Amino acid sequence: MAYIRFENLNKSFGEKAVLKDINLDIEQGQLVTLLGPSGCGKSTLLRCLAGLETVTSGKVYLDGTDITDVNPRDRGIGMVFQQYSLFPNMTAAQNVAFGLKMKKVPSNEIDTKVNNILDVVGLSAQKAQYPSQMSGGQQQRAALARALVTEPKVLLLDEPLSAIDALLRHNLQVEIRRIQQELGITAIFVTHDQEEAMVMSDVIHLMYNGGIEQSARPIDLYTQPKSTFVASFIGHYNLLSAEDMQKATGEKPESGNVAFRPEIISISRTPIEKENCFTMHGTVNVSLPHGNILRYATVCNGVQIDVDVLFGENEVFDRGDEVYLAVSKSECVYL
Amino acid sequence: MTKRKYVYLLALVPFIVIALMYELVPIVRIILNSFVSDDSGLITMANYQTVFTKLLYRKAIFNSIKISLLSAAAGIIIAFLGARAAHNSGGKVRSVFMTILNMVSNFAGVPLASAYMILLGNSGVMIQMARQFGWDALANFNLYSTNGISLVYVYFQIPLSTLLMIPAFEGIRKEWQEASTLLGANNTTFWGRVGIPVLMPSIMGTFSVLFANALAAYATVYALMMDSIALLPVQIAGCFVGEVKIRNGLGGALSVVMMLVMVIMIFVTNAISHRFEKGVRK
Amino acid sequence: MKKHSAGSTAIILLILIYLLIPLVVSAIYSLFSNWTGIVPRGFTIEKYVEIFSDPLFRAALARTILICIIPIVITIVVVLLALFVTAIYFPRLEKYVQIICMIPYTIQGVILSISILSLYVSNKTILGNRLIMLIGAYCIIILPYIYQGIRNGMRAVNMPVLLEAAEMLGASKLYAFFRVIVPNILSAIIVSSLLAVGIIFGDYVLVRNLDGSAFQNIQIYLYQAMKSDGMKASAVFVVIMAVTFAISAVVLYLQSRQNKSAKGAK
Repeated sequence: MAYIRFENLNKSFGEKAVLKDINLDIEQGQLVTLLGPSGCGKSTLLRCLAGLETVTSGKVYLDGTDITDVNPRDRGIGMVFQQYSLFPNMTAAQNVAFGLKMKKVPSNEIDTKVNNILDVVGLSAQKAQYPSQMSGGQQQRAALARALVTEPKVLLLDEPLSAIDALLRHNLQVEIRRIQQELGITAIFVTHDQEEAMVMSDVIHLMYNGGIEQSARPIDLYTQPKSTFVASFIGHYNLLSAEDMQKATGEKPESGNVAFRPEIISISRTPIEKENCFTMHGTVNVSLPHGNILRYATVCNGVQIDVDVLFGENEVFDRGDEVYLAVSKSECVYL
Repeated sequence: MTKRKYVYLLALVPFIVIALMYELVPIVRIILNSFVSDDSGLITMANYQTVFTKLLYRKAIFNSIKISLLSAAAGIIIAFLGARAAHNSGGKVRSVFMTILNMVSNFAGVPLASAYMILLGNSGVMIQMARQFGWDALANFNLYSTNGISLVYVYFQIPLSTLLMIPAFEGIRKEWQEASTLLGANNTTFWGRVGIPVLMPSIMGTFSVLFANALAAYATVYALMMDSIALLPVQIAGCFVGEVKIRNGLGGALSVVMMLVMVIMIFVTNAISHRFEKGVRK
Repeated sequence: MKKHSAGSTAIILLILIYLLIPLVVSAIYSLFSNWTGIVPRGFTIEKYVEIFSDPLFRAALARTILICIIPIVITIVVVLLALFVTAIYFPRLEKYVQIICMIPYTIQGVILSISILSLYVSNKTILGNRLIMLIGAYCIIILPYIYQGIRNGMRAVNMPVLLEAAEMLGASKLYAFFRVIVPNILSAIIVSSLLAVGIIFGDYVLVRNLDGSAFQNIQIYLYQAMKSDGMKASAVFVVIMAVTFAISAVVLYLQSRQNKSAKGAK
């Protein structure tokens, strides 16, 4: 049996079903992300594991035991919340020590453990500071230390970085991943930011509307979306109905919708002759630099196709230029 | 888990007991009593009949509403000017002003009556000065009249109303004022067309607080005039305290009338502010 | 712009002068034995000596302070318990607690006092005791202030998350409430208790209606002085205002400190 298992889990608030028959396995030692738009049920699923929500039906297993009806404080789970979850009347060190005191750990042991973990999260210098004296990033480091110090079986992180500035957020993503791997702890990370999920996770469970839409390694989720929702949520797919596909390429695709990423499209001023390709002809409508890539929005027979090319490496097109596009049929995803 | 949860309801018991014993039951009782005759103990509307026919009580209702309206209106006008001035000055001036208002807002009741007696009473400091200098208008001022009482009421309305209005002015964006100036409006047009309509919900909210404050004021007026003025709170207290026989029914009816006046005022001010609220919120 | 702010300052000054005149005049009046012309004459502090050596005055002051403590402690404990239970276990009941707490705002002193009086005046048990009625009435009249203080304090500390965090760390909800929430709303509790002290200290209505002259508090003492000796009344007035101002100064100081730390946290 997997380290963590959700079995036929349902949760409703009143009439509204928030989680619909979830079956999910999570392996020990991995960092797993629950990704999805707001309201998809990802936080609720996490809170069901924590015991902060009671499940409507179904089972939750942790390390081989059924914990569905176990009190949250007896589950052996550590949790980091969005923000402002540190106790404002206690210093960083006192906050971290709180859980150990609850476990009646002897006080000399508490001191060593607190110092060690504050060192791991890089907060030794702030140990005597109160939350109001710390930056948002430092507060979340302290919250992480507080959750880790009791050596929980699993660490839950509920959008812990959503209130942090972009630059610092990236640092903390790397930090959290490093600490998780160093300690070899199982961690579940909830976020609505797909880039964050890509950077951090071993496995991503993409959730939509109370269900798991797709579970995969980040790279597989990116290259092989299983549904139009996944394709539209991950990356920047061109997502075309069969009708639009016919209009743009003149060919009828094998089945349903076709999705292809903007960076696999070849673009040129002259017609492209390639085997097994969809070819298109249109004009550049907008060109936008996105960091190191240049994104062209082209219109091919009334259908918008976005094309990404590496900046500086390719010929540059202007608004109104006529272009020819080609995309390999085998690299398209048929949904 | 769920069963244990209901054990915690026990923690609500002290709250409920105190609220029932000293708030809910007494108030319900006084309302019920208003329908019981003080003489025969039978159910009757006679108490209300007395309230609305006897001159003293009709005057009390009239005076109470008049003084409350007057002092609340005066309080609102002064508060509007004061809060706008505080808003315009900002910074240090504003915070000193607010500190003093906060301090003075506790100044009411018997101490206020005592200060006004020293100031404007029959042998008050200012009255004596006015007599020396021959300012008849001031020398003949009578503190112990409805006008005099209104003046004292205005005093305790000012700090409260200004404190309530100052935060409302923070809702007036500087950009609006700048935009209206660029569009060619002068200051008066801006306040008439934009400022006051936007503030209307706050103005009405403050007005109803002031009205309630004046309607229920008792200590100030009693300290000055004892039972000799026809005002609702004074007459209500008179039915219960200092009389040989407590008149539960009549006092109850007067209390119900006073509560009704208050409720009507809340409805009226709410209705007015709703008319202005469309589009302002959201 | 310059002209504008000069006008504003003038309005503020006018209002302040209007508000301060009665206070200043009374203070001066208490210190001079003869004030019939423009300039008061005969400076003396005899009235202050007189009232502070009057055992009745000292007793009234002591009574007023003592009567503050019991209702405030009762109300704080009762409201804390009620809000703890409603916030954590029965959020739907919170609305009703709020309504009950806000009713005294609209009812105010006169109706509340006579309602309690008429209900218990002929009661032969301890409930008929005037002092018990007075304490009960004080509990209710300060209820809105204590409720709002504690409620705002709870909102400011992000209570649900803190409680969940404590629970995940192995604390029970009750422990977490008293160990984590209460210390953090302590200053809110202190501020609202001081406001309540101010209200009870300034009360004349309840004590007069419920306890007649048997329980002479400082306001009743002032009232009686007013009837006999204006200068003495002014001295009592100065003492009362000094205490009231001291209380509100402490409240303002604590509130500004609270706001500062709240801003620091964001």
